[in-house]
Amino acid sequence: MAFTLYSLLQAALLCVNAIAVLHEERFLKNIGWGTDQGIGGFGEEPGIKSQLTNLIRSVRTVMRGKKKNEWNTLKF
Amino acid sequence: MAYHSGYGAHGSKHRARTAPDPPPLFDDTSGGYSSQPGGYPAPGADVAFNVNHLLGDPMANVAMAYGSSIASHGKDMVHKELHRFVSVNKLKYFFAVDTAYVAKKLGLLVFPYTHQNWEVQYSRDAPLPPRRDLNAPDLYIPTMAFITYVLLAGIALGIQKRFSPEVLGLCASTALVWVVMEVLALLLGIYLATVRSDLSTFHLLAYSGYKYVGMILSVLTGLLFGSDGYYVALAWTSSALMYFLVRSLRTAALGPDSMGGSAPRQRLQLYLTLGAAAFQPLIIYWLTFHLVR
Repeated sequence: MAFTLYSLLQAALLCVNAIAVLHEERFLKNIGWGTDQGIGGFGEEPGIKSQLTNLIRSVRTVMRGKKKNEWNTLKF
Repeated sequence: MAYHSGYGAHGSKHRARTAPDPPPLFDDTSGGYSSQPGGYPAPGADVAFNVNHLLGDPMANVAMAYGSSIASHGKDMVHKELHRFVSVNKLKYFFAVDTAYVAKKLGLLVFPYTHQNWEVQYSRDAPLPPRRDLNAPDLYIPTMAFITYVLLAGIALGIQKRFSPEVLGLCASTALVWVVMEVLALLLGIYLATVRSDLSTFHLLAYSGYKYVGMILSVLTGLLFGSDGYYVALAWTSSALMYFLVRSLRTAALGPDSMGGSAPRQRLQLYLTLGAAAFQPLIIYWLTFHLVR
């Protein structure tokens, strides 16, 4: 496989987009990876699953940018 | 009137016929532009005259000063942005090497089995620079090894008459992309397994970059001794690199406050280290087998 730097950028962008479009209500809750399921205690061990759900939620927050209410009131 | 002093050459010849004056050695072009039919020296005088006109112009001086201030402002902005992303002091730590360290480290990468003490030494909570501690990772060896690998790939392809300049760039960017992907995968693994260590991104880059040394040795042996030599060198450097990585990461991942973390987390750490080590021979083989046929 011959990679260029541009293909790396494309792959990274597509992966981040794939994580960002995982829908919270339709999909993640059915699997059990929702953000309000299984947060667990405040003990010492987060565990892999809670780390993954946190990662998905962070990626979604960062990629969304503005809050949902503000999308209608964008000022230019 | 036609044979005035404007026509220097003709005038001189004309004068030489009538009076015994020595003809001038060079044509006199200081007067006007229209005298020379060839016109070769005249545009030169034109340009010189215009440049002098430009430098003496105060508006041009103002423009030049403005341009240089814009350039220095741009440079400061670039430096500031760079400092936000990359801490230059931390980067300097990785390049503080000397010849003895490089020689010993290369020997360690090829034969790590007799080294006893793998701990990184600290002095007042700051790790010692590579100059004083053999176990400290550095970025000098990976950078130089990467460049050497690209050159060696060019030589290998040239020997097999498969060389073209695009292939060189493709080889370089492929190797770089694989290292970047490996570093990103390791960062993801460290985040998911919540390994508490002081392994920064540059540490991971350094440890991932040490495989270039193995690649260079494999390709060199393959070029000198054929396909069998390539596989022997591949096996030797892969096992040496795996041993080196496992020993280094086991002690580096724990950090100065060791014995932290419960059993599952330490198991995850172990799996991560073993996974990183097992990935090395695969990637060394993948990046070099097409160079040695």
